[in-house]
Amino acid sequence: MLEHLQKQASHPNRVVILGSKGFLAHALVQHLTSEGIDCLAIGSSEMDLIHPDSMAKLSGLLQPDDSLVITSALTPDKGKDVATLMKNLEMARHLASCLENQGCSQVVYISSDSVYDGKESLIRESSTRQASDLYSLMHIAREQILSQATAKSKTPLCFVCPCAIYGAADTHNSYGPNRFFRTALKDCKITLFGNGEEIRDHILVDDVARLIGLCLTHRSVGILNAATGVAQSFHHVAENIADVLGSNVAIECLPRTGAITHRHFDPTVRIKAFPQFEPTPLSVGLAKMHRDLTTTSHK
Amino acid sequence: MIAFVGLSHLGLVHAVATAAKGFNVTGFDPNPTLVENLRCGDLPVFEPGLKELLCQHTDQIQFTSDPKNLSSCELVFLSLDVPTNDQNESNLEPLRNLITWAWNHFSPSATCVVLSQVPPGFTRSLWINKPVKHLFAQVETLVFGNAVHRALEPERFIVGCADPQEVFPSLYSEWQSAFNCPVLPMRFESAELAKISINCFLVSSVTTTNTLAEICEHTGADWSEIAPALRLDRRIGPYAYLTPGLGIAGGNLERDLVTVCQLASRYGSHAEIVTAWQNNSRYRADWALRQLHRVVLPRCSHPRIAVWGLTYKVDTHSMKNSAAVALIAALAPFQITAFDPMVASIPVHLANLELAPNALAACHEADVLIVMTPWKHFSQVNPAEIQAEMRGRFIIDPYGIISAPGFTHLQLGL
Repeated sequence: MLEHLQKQASHPNRVVILGSKGFLAHALVQHLTSEGIDCLAIGSSEMDLIHPDSMAKLSGLLQPDDSLVITSALTPDKGKDVATLMKNLEMARHLASCLENQGCSQVVYISSDSVYDGKESLIRESSTRQASDLYSLMHIAREQILSQATAKSKTPLCFVCPCAIYGAADTHNSYGPNRFFRTALKDCKITLFGNGEEIRDHILVDDVARLIGLCLTHRSVGILNAATGVAQSFHHVAENIADVLGSNVAIECLPRTGAITHRHFDPTVRIKAFPQFEPTPLSVGLAKMHRDLTTTSHK
Repeated sequence: MIAFVGLSHLGLVHAVATAAKGFNVTGFDPNPTLVENLRCGDLPVFEPGLKELLCQHTDQIQFTSDPKNLSSCELVFLSLDVPTNDQNESNLEPLRNLITWAWNHFSPSATCVVLSQVPPGFTRSLWINKPVKHLFAQVETLVFGNAVHRALEPERFIVGCADPQEVFPSLYSEWQSAFNCPVLPMRFESAELAKISINCFLVSSVTTTNTLAEICEHTGADWSEIAPALRLDRRIGPYAYLTPGLGIAGGNLERDLVTVCQLASRYGSHAEIVTAWQNNSRYRADWALRQLHRVVLPRCSHPRIAVWGLTYKVDTHSMKNSAAVALIAALAPFQITAFDPMVASIPVHLANLELAPNALAACHEADVLIVMTPWKHFSQVNPAEIQAEMRGRFIIDPYGIISAPGFTHLQLGL
């Protein structure tokens, strides 16, 4: 499911990152810069992909030997309605309009694990893509739009589908390490649904940035799930955070409203593609997140 | 005189088994080099017991590349193995070409039996234009490593016929009787699909076993304790495929799954279960790789890796779809030393692999030993010597053939 056009890693000429304000894009810029890779991060204030004039701007900026990483998307916290879906698709339409006429060295689209059928408990890159809401539908549709556009310009395309990402700079406050840390630091409390039995794979944002970096240096084509392959229960995550904080953090359990579902990722494609990549263990990643939270203003 | 046309694995085993039953046999292949090698007793395949059986009955079997020798044969088996490509799809062209060419040399009164692995409809397509009096399709499920025994003592003969009521010609009937097993005549298509059906049931057992064995690994259960209980269940049986493994390999089972998917696609049948078996098999093939990354690599980032076994199973030289080869290919950055008693040369694409002269030599200074093919010889290696050779203390032993105290030992189903 993932093929390297460059078996031996080499630096891309330049990496253009769309969506620079995002949590992941920020980590990616940091990582690529630390690796000595030239990158240009562009935010919506400089190029708003919702507006048609973004096509001309991108066309004027993108060089044939550039690699393009697309992280831009309105995430569910910005809206889960049809209007948000249409805005996200409008971005894809403008990107496609540019990319079908103007190829580049590689396009890496940051998709999501939400594209997979929520009923499947073991996710692989070959798992069925099945929209469960408008957000997942958006990513599936964008993947198709970009596939069609890049096929026309013969541009190598890679989809990276991260599982639940955590890190100090995350702004989404979604259920999991990000929210748990914030409430633990603020209220000395972590609130779980039920007993937090659901099992999920949580990946440190730095690891996702490293994986995208590897896809760029190998000019990888195909699909890669950015996941550790080691899933843990939310209760385990909460306990781990309580341990990291070393204070009296209470774990509170609310009545469960939905059925328990689990989601694991099979890391085999990643292992084969990048044999020397070792994901950060959850306990180590949470400790780093704590250090970052307490040494910066992310609180 | 009975002829076998096509002297690959299938044809050779059955030609020799037929000679062993007292018949005079002509083994024909258009490749003169192969024929010359066979005359010298140099077999192109490794199959336990085959060479010895050939030596015992060499007076009753002649190998030839001259088609004129076929005209005196009243019973002719078309026995060329049907090769598969990387997608496990059959390539019937070599068989069709051989048949088209060889037909002209058969006696019009001859009985012709298709022994090769062919899909439903193949023999019927031959029957329409057959230049011989009788045509049959006999099912052979060639089991590498056990083919001689199965050829000498078959469980049954499944014979596809144009008309299942037809009486078998005398020589074919005499040949069948020599093996003293039930004969099940049926229409061509049924026989061809019977072979595929047998393999599908085997695959379903294998994948069910593998799925449950993996659950054992997570729950504290031990599959080796469960399997005997299943064997005593009459609906499952004592010979059921209940040993966990690294997915299906070798090519034959995979071929039949592809054929079922192709037939289902053509006729609009629901065959998602077959796709699930295929996916499960691919998943299982990477079991050792996942264990290595889960347990060893976090503790040893640049391991020296020893691999025992490269063939897809024991008692064969075949590496077709071998889990060991896939494992080594997926470990390109790491140096691997391997030993397999049947493998003398390294597949070209495995640049990171070095062959050792013996099992212990492969373990020298290794951080981890991975046993990919459970050759009996490996279980007889002294664990103390393994320990002395290795610097690490990890053994990934899917089939549980090594008992070595002091090692972290990972096994399927436990």
